[in-house]
Amino acid sequence: MSEWVVDGLEADLDHFHLGPVDLTLTPGRAVAVLGASGAGKTTLLRTLAGFLRMRRGRILRDGTDISDWPPESRGLGYVPQGFGLLPHRTVERNVRYPMEIRDRPQAAQRTQELLERFRLTPLAHRYPARLSGGELQRVAIARALAAEPGLIVWDEPWQALDVLARHDLGVVLEEMRQTEPIPMVIVTHDPALAFSVADSFLVLHAGQVRNQCDAVALMRAPTDAFSARFVGYENVYDRPDLEGKGRSPFRSWLVDRAGPEGLAFASPTLSPSVSASPLWEGKVRSARPSPLGVTVEVVVDDLLVTLRMPPPVTPPLPTLGERLRFGIDPASLQPLGTRHRTVAGG
Amino acid sequence: MSRGGDGLPASPPRRPLRTGPLWLALQLVLSGSLLLLFLLPIYALFTYSPISSLIANANNAGVREALWLTFFTSGIAVLAAVLFAIPMGYLLARRRFPGRTVVESLVALPVVVPHLLVGLGLFFLLVVPGAPLYRFTQAIGFPVYDTIWGVVLVMVFVSAPYTVLASELSFRAVDGRVLEASRSLGAGPATAFLTVTLPLASRGIVAGLLLTWARAVSEIGGLLILAAFVYPGGPYNGPVTTTISVYIYNLFQVGDLADAAAVSSLFLIIAFALFLVVRLGERSGWLPWRRGELEP
Repeated sequence: MSEWVVDGLEADLDHFHLGPVDLTLTPGRAVAVLGASGAGKTTLLRTLAGFLRMRRGRILRDGTDISDWPPESRGLGYVPQGFGLLPHRTVERNVRYPMEIRDRPQAAQRTQELLERFRLTPLAHRYPARLSGGELQRVAIARALAAEPGLIVWDEPWQALDVLARHDLGVVLEEMRQTEPIPMVIVTHDPALAFSVADSFLVLHAGQVRNQCDAVALMRAPTDAFSARFVGYENVYDRPDLEGKGRSPFRSWLVDRAGPEGLAFASPTLSPSVSASPLWEGKVRSARPSPLGVTVEVVVDDLLVTLRMPPPVTPPLPTLGERLRFGIDPASLQPLGTRHRTVAGG
Repeated sequence: MSRGGDGLPASPPRRPLRTGPLWLALQLVLSGSLLLLFLLPIYALFTYSPISSLIANANNAGVREALWLTFFTSGIAVLAAVLFAIPMGYLLARRRFPGRTVVESLVALPVVVPHLLVGLGLFFLLVVPGAPLYRFTQAIGFPVYDTIWGVVLVMVFVSAPYTVLASELSFRAVDGRVLEASRSLGAGPATAFLTVTLPLASRGIVAGLLLTWARAVSEIGGLLILAAFVYPGGPYNGPVTTTISVYIYNLFQVGDLADAAAVSSLFLIIAFALFLVVRLGERSGWLPWRRGELEP
């Protein structure tokens, strides 16, 4: 297993600038790369894999500078969006491909082992066009492992998969991490799976690293609007939104507690016994049942606030236009834009 | 087959949607008419002369020579397309360079100009004394006027664009992500080209080569000007440059309609058989480029 260090990586693609990005990847660790569309996630992966030229920085594998090495020499398994399986080869020949092109001995035997391990033996002679999403995925992992990579770099592994297949893949990845401690970099939009697989997170915004921290830190203290939404904060406000339409007690109260970029807080609990002060009053815009009780949206001073009624919910539900009083625990407020970084991976 | 818990279901074989009888009738009538247009002239050709005449012509030395010359020269045209047109298609598909659009239009030019012009152009370039490349062809020992090389030159000119265009489209259609995946699995540029790009593009390229071959075989306009031994039995003693289409044209010109029909039929049989073999090979999976679509 190798240790990878990405040091001040910068890359340019047309008019897009990525970086600088620093990463340390040790065996058995997984980093999830998060960010909105166009944040530079795929650009980062393709630069790591050697398909885009770096403008600055270094990539070190076990201390060796491989920044200028071609993709095929890096020992890095890149799984692109859509898996990149060879459509003209069967499952078996896809899995054997990396060993075949490098003339590895015992390729046939190793292929059989991998097929067996990923429950692909019955599908060995099928072509990718005839496989389901979950099956394609297992082929992609088996093939990536066949190349014996020192790092697996995976772009959107869960894209276009249904709930059950996602669960299966989570299990497979977890198994893999226990048997083969290959470091992984995974780009994803899926919070649940990112938290189930990744030890640390790298949040990109417009090519810049916005946040880099471990899972607990990301959960507890998201530093930017994207991270806050990603970990499930329903109430996320940009600073201009808060300052927008003049001052009111509610807005002022929020602005005073906001960071340079704004403020986020999880849904306050709506219950009669709320003791937080002060108490605000909002007009109900919607109320709908959700797995965690009833989600209620109220409007206060033109700001939408999401509240939650924990189960058991006793009817009647709040009605449209009804006025509700709620409190926000000041300790739950998370200012945004205060930049803090801890070393990811490491 | 149960696919519970396996993610997206594999797409079932698609059947066309059921349509109304009127719509179906319209489709049948329209395609039927077109098919008749194709078939009736062929029927007329086959029935004009008796089968005995067909056999006699098949044994005729002149016909055999013309057939051989046609397949030989068109074979070289296909070879030239492999050597020059496929790389050019790759270049156009993969590289960005100034003037690419102009180059693409130029490549398509031979497809749209009347082929007599092609013959004339080559004639003024290579044949008339004082022509820009007249001395050159003489010096390197490849005179083109009324020679096999002239025939090949005309054929390449008119037929190569089909392979350029088809291979450009095919190379462009190869999924870049599949290529990148194979590179990071350890394939160098050459290996990736041979194991990914070429197999995936091969179907379109072969279709292009087939068109190239068909176009080369059916060429007559350019040949009549540059390299056609037009008058059988005339005073000309040079190498025979009569391809099968020129041969048939000559028979027609001298009023030998029965033989013209018989030789045409003979050629149709051979050409049809060749296309059929390719098609069957494709269906059976013997040729590689459809494998991914076939259920094993």
